[in-house]
Amino acid sequence: MNNKAIESLKNVISEQKVVLENGLTVCVCEMTEYSSVYASYGTNYGSDQKRFMLDGKMYDLPDGVAHFLEHKMFENEEGVDAFALYAKTGASANAFTSFDKTHYVFGATDNIDESLDILLSFVSKPYFTDKSVLKEQAIIGQEIKMYDDSPEWRLMFSLLENLYFNCPVRSDIAGTVESISKITKETLYACADAFYRPANMVLSVAGNITLQQVLDACNRADIKTSTKPMQRLTETEPREIRQKFAQFNMEISQPILGIAFKEKPFGLKKEQLKGEIICDILTELIIGDCSDLYCDLYDEGLINPGFSGEYLLGDQYLAIFFSGETKDPETVEKAIRAAICEMREDGIDEEAFICIKNILYGEMLSGLERTETVAMEMSAAHMQGVERFDEAEILAKLTVEDLQQALKDMLQEEYSVTVHLLPNTEV
Amino acid sequence: MQRIEIMPKVYVNKLHAEKFNRNRVSVNFILPSDKTTATVVALLPMLLSRGYAKCPTMKDLSIKLAKLYGASLSADMGIQGENRVLSFSFIGIKDKFALNGENLTEEYMEILFGSIFNPTLIDGGFDPEILEIEKEKLKEILLSEINDKRGYCLKQARRKFFEGNLAGVEKYGYIEEIDDITPQQVYTVYQDVLKRSLVEVMVLGADQTVITDRLVKEFNAIDRCPAQPNIAKPMPTIKTQEFTQPVDAVQGKLAMVFTTNEKLASEDLSKMRMAIALLGGLSSSRLFLNVREKQNLCYYCASAYIDVTGVLTIDSGVEHENAEKTKNAILTEIESLITGEITDDEMADTKRAIQTGLTAVGDSMGGIESWYFGEISRKTSFEPIQVIEQLNHVTKQDIKDMLKKFTLSVVYTLTKAQ
Repeated sequence: MNNKAIESLKNVISEQKVVLENGLTVCVCEMTEYSSVYASYGTNYGSDQKRFMLDGKMYDLPDGVAHFLEHKMFENEEGVDAFALYAKTGASANAFTSFDKTHYVFGATDNIDESLDILLSFVSKPYFTDKSVLKEQAIIGQEIKMYDDSPEWRLMFSLLENLYFNCPVRSDIAGTVESISKITKETLYACADAFYRPANMVLSVAGNITLQQVLDACNRADIKTSTKPMQRLTETEPREIRQKFAQFNMEISQPILGIAFKEKPFGLKKEQLKGEIICDILTELIIGDCSDLYCDLYDEGLINPGFSGEYLLGDQYLAIFFSGETKDPETVEKAIRAAICEMREDGIDEEAFICIKNILYGEMLSGLERTETVAMEMSAAHMQGVERFDEAEILAKLTVEDLQQALKDMLQEEYSVTVHLLPNTEV
Repeated sequence: MQRIEIMPKVYVNKLHAEKFNRNRVSVNFILPSDKTTATVVALLPMLLSRGYAKCPTMKDLSIKLAKLYGASLSADMGIQGENRVLSFSFIGIKDKFALNGENLTEEYMEILFGSIFNPTLIDGGFDPEILEIEKEKLKEILLSEINDKRGYCLKQARRKFFEGNLAGVEKYGYIEEIDDITPQQVYTVYQDVLKRSLVEVMVLGADQTVITDRLVKEFNAIDRCPAQPNIAKPMPTIKTQEFTQPVDAVQGKLAMVFTTNEKLASEDLSKMRMAIALLGGLSSSRLFLNVREKQNLCYYCASAYIDVTGVLTIDSGVEHENAEKTKNAILTEIESLITGEITDDEMADTKRAIQTGLTAVGDSMGGIESWYFGEISRKTSFEPIQVIEQLNHVTKQDIKDMLKKFTLSVVYTLTKAQ
């Protein structure tokens, strides 16, 4: 990974970015050899924003509001469903909410201007009624129950619940059946007003489209911005963990082990991006396909290909996870902790480090092949406050010493928790 | 697509994929399903994708792939009606992006063909130690299907439906057979796959000549006697059977299997595409709008059609007490499409949505490969644009006629554990 890599990446694709008068950021990547267009209209508001001040009033939200709002953004004042309008353009539309973002997206090959109009009009002009809120509670209740049966989902939230005292990521993104019953249309309007204002949003479009086409759509939408003062409020989170160990049962075939580390957030913008890359490389070094640990545990019959390391990173939190199925959670946990200690004491292998840099370079090239990935990555970069190719530049400059320095503070035993998810037959 | 039979029953299909930054080559071995060898065949992708004679350890192979900028080798087993498809795929960045001028394609082919044709052998069989490791993994795969309740419910419904039929031979084989499998037995089945399979190679972006030369060399060393794959056969109609299984789950699951008992003419596939999409394949479909949105019975309720067996499945996640109500609501929607009005808007919306998917086929390597492999398997050679044209001629009556063909065969429900 070197300057040649950065040049290669930059030659493959070019991005245009414009900030409109109302504050909306527009990112466009023209991919003329493609037939399709992928558009994302996103806000950096997700389930981790529990409290805020709007026009002098404080809002303390029940769990699941950001996700609920996402569901309700598909209906307008005339009672028309956005999906019904997308059906007239042939676009395939969707939306999703994460811990810190909400995205409204569509993929299309024809009638792009019309689809952009639908996207911008629905998300910019919210309309809720008591009746429609009540109806959505039933549908989302089913969605919550569906995730309640997902072992991986339950394990992740058990780990987060044990790591954090107050940080909102300890709660399910969709909330609970009980918490969403407290959501009213007034709550939704306040959140839309606070977080869906243009300066907080990014319209990111990639594919067979021009910047001018996207700007024209923005002009037609004439998106107004709220002038009410808004302030995000954050929760105070102590450094220590909440509970060291937990276990619970589900109908599964063999135990699932989860270990999570509560880390200090890296800072913002490029610092955060650098932290993200460090987490990526560290998890890969510890339990990636090329690691001794992965290969040994696999051949000892203790883990399968699903066992992996991941991280969750936001402005106020950073957690690193190692999880997967194993018939012997204690032995695998010991092995993971030993591998981390060994890496800290003996240093990081230069060759393995270069291999992982190579993997990341390949991943970047692969991400530039799809309109969907390009649109989402432009949006993510903007929301993080970095430029599209900062990742490549940071990666090229990153050294083994940087990682070793980071590892001095990271992945410490005292800030980690363990969860065992056991089959119903085991207690 | 350019299609060449380079040797008897070995085809190389070159697909247009110049705009992508990566190359993709897939080698597919297609052979008739056989219950007696299904478990051993299921072990082959696991054994062959973790190393080969010149690179025998899993770790060395992973490092090799990482050095090639995170290239990937994957092997998988698929089912197409009464046939199995053993697929090996290699994806890696194009040579022009190599940072040190490496000839990546050459190295990719070395790994792909090394894995397929030159496995690590000991005493005329697969490495016994490695085999034991992968046998345990196969057991885990088979046991872990209960973890995904939605997938499990669909699998159970299909099992009941295909019971005793070649199309129902288990993808991953049978757990009770695993312990007795020997290294020599696996090698015999492996050789049989190389000898008897119809081979379809899909080439996207890579140099076709290099691949063809290597394939000829490898297959020349094998005494080939290719077997004819089983032809697509619709499943016969049976009396509706209902099954209930208690499971410790928060949400109940419902899976319904329908069959046509009739082989569709190739031009009818466009009619069926429209019928299935209008019924439950889109967010503007009847099941989504009526069963989910109007009656609030579920979060998902989706339909899928497998043309090779003529089978339609519909599945849904429901409140335990609403399973019967949801089943009836689904049947009512089918009936209402057959006997009631289908609007012009519904027809136009459904066509547009399918057209979008077809027009975008060329925008991903996975989409391109899957489209043309589907056409080859059906022995047709339609381009997406031709199918778009066919859609324009599908009428409301065609949709009714397609849906009329289905009869309900199996209803499988996962209910609350007592």
